[in-house]
Amino acid sequence: MSPASDRPGPLESAPPLEVDGLAVAYGGAPPILENINFTIGAGEIFGILGGSGSGKSSLLRHLIGLVPPRSGRISLFGRDIWAEGGRRLNECRRLFGMMYQSGALFGSLTLLENVALPLREFTRLSPGSVLAAARLKLALVGLSGFEHHRPAHISGGMRKRAAIARAMALEPGLIFLDEPSAGLDPITSAGLDRLIVTLARNLGIAFGMVTHELGSIMSIIDRAIILDRASRGIVAEGSPAELARRTEPPLVAAFFNRRPE
Amino acid sequence: MSPGPPPARAGDSAALVLTVKEGGPETVAFLAGPLNVNTEAEAWRPLDEFLSRRPAGTPRLTLDLTGLTALDLNGSAQIIAALEAAEKSGRQAAAAGLPPRFETIFRLAREAMTKPLAPAPPRVHFLEEVGRAAAELVRDFRALTFFLGELTAEFFRLAARPWRFNWRSVAEAAERSGVNAVPIVALVSFLVGLIIAFQAAMITKLFGAEIYVATLVGVSVVRELGPLIAAIVLAGRSGSAFSAELGAMRVAEEIDALTTMGFSPVRELALPRVLAQMLTAPGVSLIACFVGMFGGSLVLLGLGYTAVTYWSMAVEKVTLYSFLIGFFKAFVFGFTVGAVGCQRGLAAGDGPDAVGRATTSGVVTNIIVIAVLDSIFAVGFYVAGI
Ligand SMILES: Nc1ncnc2c1ncn2[C@@H]1O[C@H](COP(=O)(O)OP(=O)(O)O)[C@@H](O)[C@H]1O
Ligand SMILES: [Mg+2]
Repeated sequence: MSPASDRPGPLESAPPLEVDGLAVAYGGAPPILENINFTIGAGEIFGILGGSGSGKSSLLRHLIGLVPPRSGRISLFGRDIWAEGGRRLNECRRLFGMMYQSGALFGSLTLLENVALPLREFTRLSPGSVLAAARLKLALVGLSGFEHHRPAHISGGMRKRAAIARAMALEPGLIFLDEPSAGLDPITSAGLDRLIVTLARNLGIAFGMVTHELGSIMSIIDRAIILDRASRGIVAEGSPAELARRTEPPLVAAFFNRRPE
Repeated sequence: MSPGPPPARAGDSAALVLTVKEGGPETVAFLAGPLNVNTEAEAWRPLDEFLSRRPAGTPRLTLDLTGLTALDLNGSAQIIAALEAAEKSGRQAAAAGLPPRFETIFRLAREAMTKPLAPAPPRVHFLEEVGRAAAELVRDFRALTFFLGELTAEFFRLAARPWRFNWRSVAEAAERSGVNAVPIVALVSFLVGLIIAFQAAMITKLFGAEIYVATLVGVSVVRELGPLIAAIVLAGRSGSAFSAELGAMRVAEEIDALTTMGFSPVRELALPRVLAQMLTAPGVSLIACFVGMFGGSLVLLGLGYTAVTYWSMAVEKVTLYSFLIGFFKAFVFGFTVGAVGCQRGLAAGDGPDAVGRATTSGVVTNIIVIAVLDSIFAVGFYVAGI
């Protein structure tokens, strides 16, 4: 089943994310990115690539509705998130999950409570069902047995996985990940990649992920955009294999061949 | 997932219907409709109720899933948890008739949920908690003692080579922890002076001895209240800031980084702050004295005495000794406020509440230490006849 399949009405066929003419900017400063257009399809693993400071995290902050865009439209499953001046934003926020770069787990709660929190708040599941669901999400990311640990008492890699479990709590059809494998060992990182592929291929969950890991990019990402600070926009878009073959623009070639520009 | 159940959906036909058909040794639970994140606790209740009853013998429970129209991971977890609960209560349980399109998701959940939920850690017994608290108190005291030893060693090292020290950091700390504390200290001591004078005047008026209120305010403020007010306000305002700053550095591993680079955290972080507090506390206390006496003067001015009379009476009994005693006390309080504040910060644990706990503990310890020291001073000076 695709998680989108019980979405009601005409929105059913809408892609998980559509970005249309988006300008990314903070306050009155000149925009970091301009005229950004791309779409993430159901079950697609979409990469947002680019050098440090090219605006990947900023773009993500816009996509999840933390910062209102200077201009342009962001639609989640066919819903404009800033429609009616942002009044529909909270409704839209439950359509996606987000894993923050630092994990952002709540330190005063156990892992189980962290994952159960959105379920308790936003569903009418019984306490027993919430427990079962939270336990499954932690088991899926390989954290069985650590349910009662607190975030401070587990490793960084485990925190990232727990954060993904929390992002999955409400069964979103779209999950954003900010550098999921940064700072992880290759084995953990490969396990994470496999989980993402399983979720995308089997459940049709779409992923929008910021990453620098060439290994992950080549092995799991279906399609990617490359952002560039200098041209304030997308310099290339395509499958990683396609991008890796390109020689133009130089930034793309440099990125995939790990050459300094 | 859809964005929370919209009102129209709550009662419509697209909700899960769960019926339990009991038939002696063979019970079948029929699930019809969507089983997902929008399923309500109410729909699941018949099964929960059935499972909560103790069975006789080993009856069978079959979950008939033929009628499912939607299934997500949460729903799969619910089915698996129900099967587990049934088996735990001595039944034979199985699911049947899962529509093929849900097989992948169900298998994914089933394979993940092979391990049971880890048992929750046991709750700590009251007596154990008391014991732990007592042990912690002892540990805290030892840590504080060690810290004071280290700090003293650093003082001597500093005295031996005062030019090899970052005095600028002392100046910065002095500004933040001493100079910037003056307004709040002034406000508190002004009010205390005013109130003491007012209360005393109410009584002394009966004997026509209001003018001695000035003497009372002068002596008590200079010797006792000035240093005490300064110490308590500094403990709450600046000592707590030390604990929080150093506690945050501990949590961010900055203290470890300093240590591994060969720096002494006590020398680099605690010493400047303690020095700053020692150097500024007497000044702050002095200001507290004058503002307190000024507060008292307003009462006597209100009663018709002149400012000259008030101030001459106020300082009449303030001997050089009592002035120096006040100064000395403020100096000692400055030391303890800085030292305890820093020690608690450096000793902060880890975890999300570490900084908060370090700060609270610093302020509480400081106030206790100030109270104890002040009593010791009072008795000591009395016995010494000063
Ligand atoms: N909250 C903010 N306010 C203003 N500028 C910001 C903010 N966050 C990031 N920036 C700027 O946006 C640019 C892109 O940052 P970021 O999105 O974090 O890059 P990336 O994640 O690609 O490394 C940087 O130049 C940074 O200075
Ligand atoms: Mg970033």
